[in-house]
Amino acid sequence: MLNYLLRRILLTIPLALGVVFIVTISFDLIPGDPAALILGEFATPQAVAELRTSLGLDRPLLVRYVAYVGDILQGDLGRSIRDRRPVTAILSETFPYTVQLALAAIVLVLIVGIPLGLLAASRPGSWIDNVIRVTSLAGLSMPVFWTGLVFIVIFSVNLRWFPVSGTGTWRHLVLPAVTLALPSIAVVARMTRATVLEVLREDFIRTARAKGVGETSLLYKHTLRNALIPVVTVLGLQLGQMLGGAVLTETVFAWPGVGRLTVFAIFNRDFVLMQGLVLVLAMVYVFVNLLVDLSYGLIDPRVAYS
Amino acid sequence: MLTTRVFTMVLLVTMLLTGTVLAQKTLTIVRPTDPVSLDPQLETTAPGSWVFSQILEPLITVNQDMEIESRLATSWEFIDPTRLRFTLRQDVTFHDGTPFNAEAVAFTWDRAFNNDPPGRWKALAGPVSGVEIVDEYTVDIVASQPYGPMLLTVTMPYTGVVSPTAVETMGDDAFSRAPVGTGPFKFVEWRANDRIVIEANDDYWRGRPALDRIVFRTVPEEGARMLSLRTGEADMVLMPTPSDLPALEADPDFIVEGAPGVGVFYLAFNLERPAVSDVRVRQAVAHAIDRELIAEAILEGGGVLATSVIGEPVFGYKDMELLERYPYDPERAIELLEEAGYTRGNDGLMRDDAGQVLRLDALPSNGRSLKDREIAEVLQEFLRQVGIEVELHVFEWATTFSLMRGETLDYDLNSFTWFTTTADADYTMYSNYVSTETPPASWNRWRYANADVDEWLKAARASLDMDERAELYGMVQDQLAIDLPAIPLYGSYEVAALSADVTGFVAHPIQYILDLFPVDKP
Amino acid sequence: MSLAAAPQAPAAGATRRNDVWRRFRRNTLGMIGAVIVIVMVLMAVFAPYLAPNDPASQDLRARRTAPNVQYLLGTDEFGRDILSRIIYGARASLVVAVTSVAIGLTLGSFLGALAGYLGGLVDGVVMRTMDLFLAFPYLLLAIIIVSALGPGLQNTIFAIAVWTIPAFARVARSAVLQLKERDFVTAAKSLGAKEARVMRVHLLPNFGSTLLVYASLYLAYAILMESALSFLGLGVQPPTASWAGMIASGRNYITSAPHIATIPGIAIAIAVLGFNLLGDGLRDAYDPRTVKR
Repeated sequence: MLNYLLRRILLTIPLALGVVFIVTISFDLIPGDPAALILGEFATPQAVAELRTSLGLDRPLLVRYVAYVGDILQGDLGRSIRDRRPVTAILSETFPYTVQLALAAIVLVLIVGIPLGLLAASRPGSWIDNVIRVTSLAGLSMPVFWTGLVFIVIFSVNLRWFPVSGTGTWRHLVLPAVTLALPSIAVVARMTRATVLEVLREDFIRTARAKGVGETSLLYKHTLRNALIPVVTVLGLQLGQMLGGAVLTETVFAWPGVGRLTVFAIFNRDFVLMQGLVLVLAMVYVFVNLLVDLSYGLIDPRVAYS
Repeated sequence: MLTTRVFTMVLLVTMLLTGTVLAQKTLTIVRPTDPVSLDPQLETTAPGSWVFSQILEPLITVNQDMEIESRLATSWEFIDPTRLRFTLRQDVTFHDGTPFNAEAVAFTWDRAFNNDPPGRWKALAGPVSGVEIVDEYTVDIVASQPYGPMLLTVTMPYTGVVSPTAVETMGDDAFSRAPVGTGPFKFVEWRANDRIVIEANDDYWRGRPALDRIVFRTVPEEGARMLSLRTGEADMVLMPTPSDLPALEADPDFIVEGAPGVGVFYLAFNLERPAVSDVRVRQAVAHAIDRELIAEAILEGGGVLATSVIGEPVFGYKDMELLERYPYDPERAIELLEEAGYTRGNDGLMRDDAGQVLRLDALPSNGRSLKDREIAEVLQEFLRQVGIEVELHVFEWATTFSLMRGETLDYDLNSFTWFTTTADADYTMYSNYVSTETPPASWNRWRYANADVDEWLKAARASLDMDERAELYGMVQDQLAIDLPAIPLYGSYEVAALSADVTGFVAHPIQYILDLFPVDKP
Repeated sequence: MSLAAAPQAPAAGATRRNDVWRRFRRNTLGMIGAVIVIVMVLMAVFAPYLAPNDPASQDLRARRTAPNVQYLLGTDEFGRDILSRIIYGARASLVVAVTSVAIGLTLGSFLGALAGYLGGLVDGVVMRTMDLFLAFPYLLLAIIIVSALGPGLQNTIFAIAVWTIPAFARVARSAVLQLKERDFVTAAKSLGAKEARVMRVHLLPNFGSTLLVYASLYLAYAILMESALSFLGLGVQPPTASWAGMIASGRNYITSAPHIATIPGIAIAIAVLGFNLLGDGLRDAYDPRTVKR
């Protein structure tokens, strides 16, 4: 078990370095000079050249990459090109917002998505199943930024229940969380339904049914545990994507999280910030996957880690 | 019905309660972007200046009528053409208790001119070279050669004086996130991409401001900014949506405050490209565009019809009489194109002798100035009407900006807003129209070259005689109207939408200046 | 993202196809999806005949008019006919979605099948590279690609195609792995069939159905992805009509003229729903166990 954990964590390292390498290369390919952008409209070429040197932009790509890896190993993620603040400071300021939003959304997904899926699976082919199927598909089909806009118009402007944008109170969190959760609720409901139906066909369920176990107890006791593994996998994927930054939701609701920060970093050619972000995102991804794998063991003790 | 009523009651009670608890007067301002920094050393964009100019004060400033007003200096005079002497206030202290004196002024300017790298506003200061201390409350600002716009240079909000003690104890990095000055408001906190909070300076030398707190919130979505004003989450919206302004103006709950600005959005031609190097083609483009309709239908009050390549409040402005010279007349545009050797085919497109369609590549600014992307689409359609095919190359700003600054410009058309930041014609005219001022060193992107214009602009820069300067700039503008290297489309209109509770706000022609000292929420 | 169960019965071609069609026809939702998709395709193909107006033609004096008799869905901020732009917008959405998914499917399933069939080092290298791509939040990956290459139709397609490759690779690989161990493949191999022939004759037809289901679902995601990029200003360029581009510019008028941003949103939702229903229907048809006990 400990071995397994250790190996998984060690595997993060090549992954993270690979992702950072991709970022370093791609920012070299993107047109647009961060130094010229920082200095603005009226900078002299000499000033731009000086700034390039002081930012280390004039060094070859590989040199920059190796130097950066060296810095990472010392726990230094560098300074943002745009505002020269330590990347760690920027990240520790931004991440809590993203975590807050992602957790709120994932809780919604858990308390709405799974019950909906169970309900649908309990009466497959019935009208309620069809209603849940169609609405969850509809939820999956709406562009997130559009749903967000429509929510703002209905709940902020017309009903005045929630603020239009920003952070501060729990009321600020409601609309972004619901907007972000909606497609995931749909995914999880569909997954739950599908796996529960799958499990219900398994032999042991047939045996249990033949033995006269009641339908409700059958569904909840015997089936759910076995159906949970794929559902948890999907939940993990969703959580991973949410923690990776809900770019569109954050844009629409002016939520100061990682998604907006990343777009901001890309648009400002702030590759140092981008490298740090990507590094952390890759770690989040691995961490969430690890959590998912570990939860398999909790759900089903037969799962062995090797 | 009942539930709505109960809900309203609850809401009212909550509002009353919070109202009594927060007897503080807080003004919440929403604007689209977070600053890079709050230190003028690193930050020269409006979102930064709107905040730091509440905290840091320059020696002198320009008011809404473009007259010079005293701030940290009580009087000033030219003692020779390259030396401007300021007498400073003696009763001022910084927010950290440091006394304000000549040393602080010298510290601020030295930092901008001699630090490595130098302050970003140094490039705006022309031949101004630094500050010399005369005595504890007297300084000379000096230039390496006579410089007409010198006085206006000192009014730039970037020259706001910083507390030397604070910079030294905090270090540049920390100071840039929490500046200390002499202004009416003190820095409280900055949560990146979310909000910046400043509070009243009780000991301000002009008296305590009426507001207790100002919260600058970052809301990138234009729609959301407007909505937050309507829902009461914000008291003031900077850069509001023009199309919402008429409704707000008609509504007694809101105020719309605006002033014609110093920026001009224009369509520029790259004179090195064969098609548009022909002045008839440029004139045809001018005739093909209904500029009044663009102002009315796209800007909808968010901008004013431009009458010159510089804004009306700028020193040296002269009306280029563009509507008289180039009225909207598609027929005339087609005639001009035919004169230039193009023939119109059955598909309505203009072709040259070789049968090549008259196609122009355009590099429009996108998301940088008001409605720039929309205007690009409208121009494309106007030009299609007279047979010119326009291909839009819309990039995000970083890419567009680096293309604009390139050694060569591979586009026929480029649209952009240029702000005459110093409010003196020299700032725009010199860098944009002197033949040697080409990118990347400077901004003559259209590769315009006219020996007369070169000579007039150089003379106007060196002269301290304001009447003579104004006349020279007038001659330049007349010549530009004939040569037409660029078609001015609209002038910036610095507008804010406010809740009717807010009093005392007057819009300023210079986008960078936001005067919140007299503002109150009685 | 629903993970489709791999289809089971390796029955003979024609009869199986008939079975599938018979089951699909009885699936109301799937049929609705198919109809939506067909309507969308027709709209895209016959746009010039269906659209009442030129989608690029502006009338600045008739801007932001609410839906009325002359303009059934109203006009946008340039006075362009929204109905015509919706009809033409189907083109942009379909072209981007179909091309990018086709590229992703071809490359992805080839890579995945190769990895699964050959195993060992090839498998390791290919699948770890795919993991690398999956480690990236996908929208950000697309934004980086489009920023690097510049916005526009081709680069949007490329960015979305890159994003779909890992998914198809995974499907193909797992299908191949499952089938590889099946008796009929082992049998064919033991009978001395060449590897290439085994792949072509036995494997392709069998994971083809899974890929078809996936392709349909990914067409839905591709439309959403294109809309996300266009919303951020990185998608199809003007004056080409694009649904998300319409939302992006209409959102500024969300209170004064809500129809500009809401109508294209509904168009996107219906189109995506169509492909999702179709994908679901196809899966149920290929693998009937998921519907009824």
